[in-house]
Amino acid sequence: MAQYRTQTKIIADILATARDLNTAGDGVGITTLLRRGNVSYSRMTKLITDLVGAGLLVELNIEKNSKYKISDKGLSFLRAYGQFEDFAQSFGLRL
Amino acid sequence: MEGLLLLENALQFVGAFVAFSIALVSYKGVKQTRSSSLLRLSAAFMFLGTGFLLEGFYGFGSLALLPGFEVSLTTLLIAGLFLETAGYFFLAFSHMLDVVLDKRMGVMLALFPLMAINQSSLAVVLTSLSFYFILYGVVETLFAYSKNRNPNTLLIASGLAVLAGGWWMSLAFTDGLLLNIIQLLLKEVGLVTLFIPVLKFSLSKKGGWNGPV
Repeated sequence: MAQYRTQTKIIADILATARDLNTAGDGVGITTLLRRGNVSYSRMTKLITDLVGAGLLVELNIEKNSKYKISDKGLSFLRAYGQFEDFAQSFGLRL
Repeated sequence: MEGLLLLENALQFVGAFVAFSIALVSYKGVKQTRSSSLLRLSAAFMFLGTGFLLEGFYGFGSLALLPGFEVSLTTLLIAGLFLETAGYFFLAFSHMLDVVLDKRMGVMLALFPLMAINQSSLAVVLTSLSFYFILYGVVETLFAYSKNRNPNTLLIASGLAVLAGGWWMSLAFTDGLLLNIIQLLLKEVGLVTLFIPVLKFSLSKKGGWNGPV
């Protein structure tokens, strides 16, 4: 059975994708984020706008294409998420 | 007997310390991740900590160790028990949300009315509800362990189970020095077990944990 993902978990998945798949250093496209994030296009664009606004993702405009890479603040969020996910999991809960 | 009562009251303050520590770590998590699960966990242990504190004051007041508490002893006891029940409710509520979101039936939900309506006095009703909520927490934590196989989850489930055992004994047996000591020991072991994730969290933070999500 598919497990429900919380908003925090979806954000962590998007940030982890932007971190792990940015191998060339020029950011990750929205198609990749959509494929790995597993959310609808409209929801993803809203989430990305929010994440860029919060300073967790950095938007890069390369050849008229928007690409995204994780910021230092985003990396700190992922570290905190990892620690608190383990803590919440100890109590049988999900972040 | 008075020594045992003193020990019991001291245990309430140990419980308050453990509960406030868990609430503090959870609250830090809320600030950093804005997670609603951690907010509920933080609220649960805040209520529990305050409840333990009030019951500790009640105990010392009833032993006449703290002056000025004699008049409001009953209020203290009921308020403490109520907050404790609220704390265990929030703990169970987090699991209930998981049950609803995953669209599966919680094993213990069906037993709820049986536990709640069979008692008369307010203190006993609150104690029964607390016992039910802890038991529900045990079942759901064990269910979570069956999915995530995280040894810490099993540890917390065991701690809650031991705590539930202590509560059950306080409901079932009201007299007997040996039973009181066993009940106290069970509650102590249960509380200390709940403190382990806080210790692990503090240690991992000092070590600069940087694992993947």
